[in-house]
Amino acid sequence: MASNDPVLQVKDLATYYYLGDKELKAVDGVSFDISARRTLGLAGESGCGKTTTAYSIMRILAENGKIARGSINLGGVELTELSDEEMRQLRWKKASIVFQYAMNAFNPVLRIGKQIVEVIQEKDDFSQDEAVQIVNDLFDEVGLKPERQTDYPHEFSGGMLQRAIIAQALACDPQLIIADEPVTALDVIVQNKILDLLRKLQDKYNLAVLFITHDLSVVAENCHDVGIMYAGNLVEWGTAEDVFKRSVHPYSYKLIGAFPSVVGPKKRLEFIPGSPPNLLSIPKGCRFHPRCPFAQARCETDVPEYTEVTDGHFAKCHFAGELDLGGGA
Amino acid sequence: MASEPILRVEEVRKWFPVRSGLFSFRGGQKYVKAVDNVSFNIEKGASIAIAGESGCGKTTLARTILRLIKPSGGAAYFKDENIFEMNRLELNELRLKMQIIFQNPFEVLDPRHTVIDLVGEGLNIHKLEESDEVLHDKVISALEDVRLVPAEDFATRYTHELSGGQLQRIAIARSLILKPELIIADEPVSMLDASIRTEVMNLMTDLQKEKDLTYIFITHDLAQARYVGDYLIIMYLGRIAEMGPMEDVIQSPQHPYTKALVSNIPIPDPTIERERIMLPGETPTPIDLPPGCRFKPRCQEFGAQCKPDEPQLQEVADGHFVACWFD
Repeated sequence: MASNDPVLQVKDLATYYYLGDKELKAVDGVSFDISARRTLGLAGESGCGKTTTAYSIMRILAENGKIARGSINLGGVELTELSDEEMRQLRWKKASIVFQYAMNAFNPVLRIGKQIVEVIQEKDDFSQDEAVQIVNDLFDEVGLKPERQTDYPHEFSGGMLQRAIIAQALACDPQLIIADEPVTALDVIVQNKILDLLRKLQDKYNLAVLFITHDLSVVAENCHDVGIMYAGNLVEWGTAEDVFKRSVHPYSYKLIGAFPSVVGPKKRLEFIPGSPPNLLSIPKGCRFHPRCPFAQARCETDVPEYTEVTDGHFAKCHFAGELDLGGGA
Repeated sequence: MASEPILRVEEVRKWFPVRSGLFSFRGGQKYVKAVDNVSFNIEKGASIAIAGESGCGKTTLARTILRLIKPSGGAAYFKDENIFEMNRLELNELRLKMQIIFQNPFEVLDPRHTVIDLVGEGLNIHKLEESDEVLHDKVISALEDVRLVPAEDFATRYTHELSGGQLQRIAIARSLILKPELIIADEPVSMLDASIRTEVMNLMTDLQKEKDLTYIFITHDLAQARYVGDYLIIMYLGRIAEMGPMEDVIQSPQHPYTKALVSNIPIPDPTIERERIMLPGETPTPIDLPPGCRFKPRCQEFGAQCKPDEPQLQEVADGHFVACWFD
């Protein structure tokens, strides 16, 4: 592949849920892009809008959720303008999603291989034998014995199911894989095996990966780029090294600082006082200002712009780049 | 040893019988050996972390020690009294001194009760309340202990009005009000977001000093274990693989399993590259374990030095024990 154009471009995405007559702004003005062979780790606390962002891209939102504005461009196709049927055609073929609970992703009464064959035959014009052969190859690729295609989901361990899901996600040769907390339910050793597998497949198939997780340690080790979300906003976006070592948004800086580590000196960690806002009554100005140790008068009234602080490193803070966040280069 | 152990666990076993088919008598009764001969001591004021992967027996061990489930063998002494031989009355007494905090505060706290009832419940059960005023004051002071202030305001709320972090603090207040000496916390922060998780772990560390508590902290996350504990026990398939002072075990693990586990813990810093030790396969169920070392099938260092019987814990450095034939 020659082009360096991003596979996925999200611009000013806003997704709202409607609860009675109330509007819940779960995602509000999120912009980022992902190129082939890159992994963007989208992280933040529960309710920050990371999963809603993923579901908006796949257009699998709950019935009361609507994309209110913005654009989602996947390989040159504007997803927000597609009909439901066109979108259905495109899922699995252009973009697939891997969910957290592998045990719930397969139908428990059908053989695993058959469920993947079904996807292949639905999307591409392959005969039964050809489809079975593809699943054989895929199983081999993800480290499962091809003969286990005839097993039922309960005969697989958690790690094996996650591998099968990845095989299914790859079945129709997509450009983008969205992994929503793909390893959260697994033990660390199995977790790393799955992450290594994802990385290997990404290189082989030139995949763009959107990796959603609440665990910044996993992001640090597995993602090229990082986006930190807070209360529906993407507050910082840049390379992993920029965001972790040269944070420019106080929230990212504080959140990273709250993670304990098994290396380095053992020190008392700081936490962020308070909790994220209720999205039905979002604070005026910067959404983080009530919890921000650097907040000034202006933060209470003006919404900060999402600006490029240094090359490819964006933040949504009035004082991005001006604060002394201690981390340093 | 500086002080008397507050808890002595000796060869504790918890075997669950496996129910199998009609002809199971042929092979004899089989067991899931969830906890299989575990021994350790805890000194007063210590904070020990028990870590391991799902199914290693860490939670079963905690529940067995508290006699929330019936032990299959061994003994556990709380200050020289064998918990496994206590009668109902003695157990009631014991549970004032040994409290447990569970992972999911949403399941523990009854949504139909206000905070004041939830926190005071233990006092009522143990018939310790003197009068409504005294009870009220004790609840308020317990809420202040866990930094839920203004306490009067929190006291009248219901659980749905509180966040996960606040609920977990209420679960802690429920224990504290009984003035326990030992608290077993089973993954107390695993359900919480990072910042709140750190807040609760800091609170627990502070309370330990303020109230002279001893902790058993059960977790699957070694980074968490290191943050709250000063002594670490690593379990694998129902047995202790390695135990010792926290930094000794984390910085220089001796057992091949601990080495692999530590090397796989993600580090929140993208500039640190570490070599990971990968183990083949996944942790099996502890039924029909292989003879000898139970880690053998996955061990990267298995070799001629490994004897056919099960390795016992050997002291390799001061207070640092390893169950491995390798030396």
